Amino acid sequence: MTDSQAVKRGTARPVFLDFARIRFPVGAIASIAHRVSGVVLVAALPFAVFLLGRSLEGEEAFSAVLGSARSIPGRVVLLVVAWACAQHLFSGIRHLLMDVGIGSSLNAGRASAYAVLVAAALVSVGVLVL
Amino acid sequence: MRLFTGQSAFVAQRISALLLLACVAVVALRLAIGPSPTFAQWRAWAGQPLGGAVVLVLAGALFMHAWIGARDVLIDYVKPFALRLAVMTFVAAGLCVLAAWTAVIVATHAL
Amino acid sequence: MRFRIYRFDPDRDSKPRWQEYELDLHANDRMVLDALVRLKEQDDSIAFRRSCREGVCGSDGMNINGLNALACITPLAGISEPVTLAPLPSFPVIRDLIVDMTQFFAHYDAIKPYLVNEEPPPERERLQSPAERQRLDGLYECILCACCTSFCPSAWWNPEKFLGPAALLQARRFIVDSRDRAAPQRLEFLDDVYKLFRCRTIMNCTQVCPKGLNPAHAIERIKIDLLRHSS
Repeated sequence: MTDSQAVKRGTARPVFLDFARIRFPVGAIASIAHRVSGVVLVAALPFAVFLLGRSLEGEEAFSAVLGSARSIPGRVVLLVVAWACAQHLFSGIRHLLMDVGIGSSLNAGRASAYAVLVAAALVSVGVLVL
Repeated sequence: MRLFTGQSAFVAQRISALLLLACVAVVALRLAIGPSPTFAQWRAWAGQPLGGAVVLVLAGALFMHAWIGARDVLIDYVKPFALRLAVMTFVAAGLCVLAAWTAVIVATHAL
Repeated sequence: MRFRIYRFDPDRDSKPRWQEYELDLHANDRMVLDALVRLKEQDDSIAFRRSCREGVCGSDGMNINGLNALACITPLAGISEPVTLAPLPSFPVIRDLIVDMTQFFAHYDAIKPYLVNEEPPPERERLQSPAERQRLDGLYECILCACCTSFCPSAWWNPEKFLGPAALLQARRFIVDSRDRAAPQRLEFLDDVYKLFRCRTIMNCTQVCPKGLNPAHAIERIKIDLLRHSS
């Protein structure tokens, strides 16, 4: 059946894009983490600018900003933002290195993808603990 | 926004990334070594012209990097042209407002 | 061995479905393609493309247990069951495991996959030193099986405008060919938000290439060439 016949019949050709049945290599995971962390950071920007302003206002405001990071919701936000920063930073460095040819082979690319994901997880937990 | 087609966006994103990387490295080093900065130290540094200028340059790099990244995400996922134009305008405007706000903050505390 | 195969017959089905099969393997059934041929003896309606059965024609590219591969060189030994066979992702499905490759080949055509050289031809060949010929290694071997392009998320989101790893690898093949004279035009053609720069170096392409090629790296090199060219 030709394409135009299919269109007339109303049966457009389906596509296979079932994410449950497609395996994502570690490089793809690192890449989507880079993208998600980027979006989180952009969403956090208004908040960050607000905090910048507050932290410069006065002694009390400065301490309040630091103190809010110790409350429970503050710690959740801190964890998410710390992860987003670390993940985006590390996968960003990975991309910059690949731009100049470092780590472009399949094995190197896979190894660096694992390294980046693990390092970001460790740093975000570390920030929470400290 | 014909400003950033293909290669120029790629290069601008890389350059702003390097700038931000340098900044993060310096800040991380400063926080790791020595005592936590007090309000007075922070205010003093950000208040002087050099510190304020650094904050502004870094904010500029940050907003440019954020815009190019956001644009890439929107181009990939928002297909209808009119909707994409609307969302991009909203995001671009939002980033410009935040950049202006940052400039105001730095200016008021530098004086 | 158990199989789960993606089935779609436009004359019968309104939407695709999965069908399970059970197959007793013979001693000489070594590759997924061998199993498919025997499954077709069981159920004649299963449709798939195949030709050389040795991994050089690129006809039987498909998604095997979640990863794109050529069925004729994917061993059955150690494979996890049920062996799930699906068509190449994101390409329109004509029937069962057969997909429409029109868009894929259109992108290939767009990069002008032929030598452009207006100089009068020499008496015999346009000569190339061994070093110049070596620059084509890792680029010329592409069999256009589409495993890479159909596994690239950037190609999933922008199939009509992003050229995809296969076409871009071939673009590089001609850019570095010392006998070609159109490198500046080839590079200019690619300098565009969509054609080349949708690539995010996700590296799914390199992961699944059955010939062991590295389209991601080739694309990186094109980006660097573009930079050198404009400055």
